[in-house]
Amino acid sequence: MFSGSTIVLIITVMAASAVEAVEALTIIMASGITHGWRSTWEGAIVAFLALAAVVGVLGTTIIHHVDIDVLRVIVGTLLLIFGMQWLTKAILRSSGFKAMHDEAKIFEKDVEELKKEKHIRTGKRDSVAFVVSFKGVFLEGMEVVMIVVTFGLSNGNDYSQLKWAALGAVIAIAVIAVIGAIVAKPLAKVPENTLKLGVGIILVSFGMFWMGEGAGVKWPLSDVFIIILAAIIAATTFGLIAFFKRAHNRMHHEAHTV
Amino acid sequence: MKILKTIWKYTKSFLLFWQDFLVGDSPELAVGVLIILGTAYLLRKSGDWDVAAVVALALILMIITVWRKTREH
Repeated sequence: MFSGSTIVLIITVMAASAVEAVEALTIIMASGITHGWRSTWEGAIVAFLALAAVVGVLGTTIIHHVDIDVLRVIVGTLLLIFGMQWLTKAILRSSGFKAMHDEAKIFEKDVEELKKEKHIRTGKRDSVAFVVSFKGVFLEGMEVVMIVVTFGLSNGNDYSQLKWAALGAVIAIAVIAVIGAIVAKPLAKVPENTLKLGVGIILVSFGMFWMGEGAGVKWPLSDVFIIILAAIIAATTFGLIAFFKRAHNRMHHEAHTV
Repeated sequence: MKILKTIWKYTKSFLLFWQDFLVGDSPELAVGVLIILGTAYLLRKSGDWDVAAVVALALILMIITVWRKTREH
């Protein structure tokens, strides 16, 4: 039923969606607590529907109108850019050059900022809550949409991969939403950086492979070469973390001894 | 005239959104990826050089991007 690449596709999309869903949940909670839940939920639901429409329209348009090689170049280029962005952030955080993503702190900051905003009510609705929630979910979700569409269309002109990618995203978002509703606080314990590191390695490996294939590169061993690419990227990533961690510690030590 | 201004305003916002989304604060990444793509096209009929070039350039891009970001911090 599932091929190896479909399993990788679902796991990657789920991990990416979980990371973004945790961040969106923090915004929703801050908005709901300070400005009320009704408009907050409405904003989140409208954003979610808008994202689903983007997946449908973008996916259908690309499937019917874009040549497979051009599609692979577009998919690969986008995945490579997103993957590199995720990996860079994860390497900087792991080596100490950037603070770890702390949902509890972000939540406190968001709540303080939203408390300063006046409640702008139209009827029983609060437009601040709606806009904050909509923007939070839409912007965090847009990256997931791009990953779902690009990853989902990697196999060419059929819907099967896109369906699995979308399903992976929906499951991850639903799980985070349920956990968030149960614990009723931001999910600070989700290992976001580890997930970003893993997803980044996979996105860069697949991105390089598809971009190259679309451009006419003949990869040795065909699809199996993706595993070799992933191993090379992973080794470089961990090498960079070790190198920059040492550099960061040395700088820290020198700053304290001067 | 007013309609044109409104269209321009929304087009500009739309383009800025995508520019921020795809390029963000790492323009070197977007440029680097396009260089890798161009190199892959140019070397696609050169035997195994295309594979070596794509992999090497991607690793160099990764190292340069992380190094630049550490300097900023």
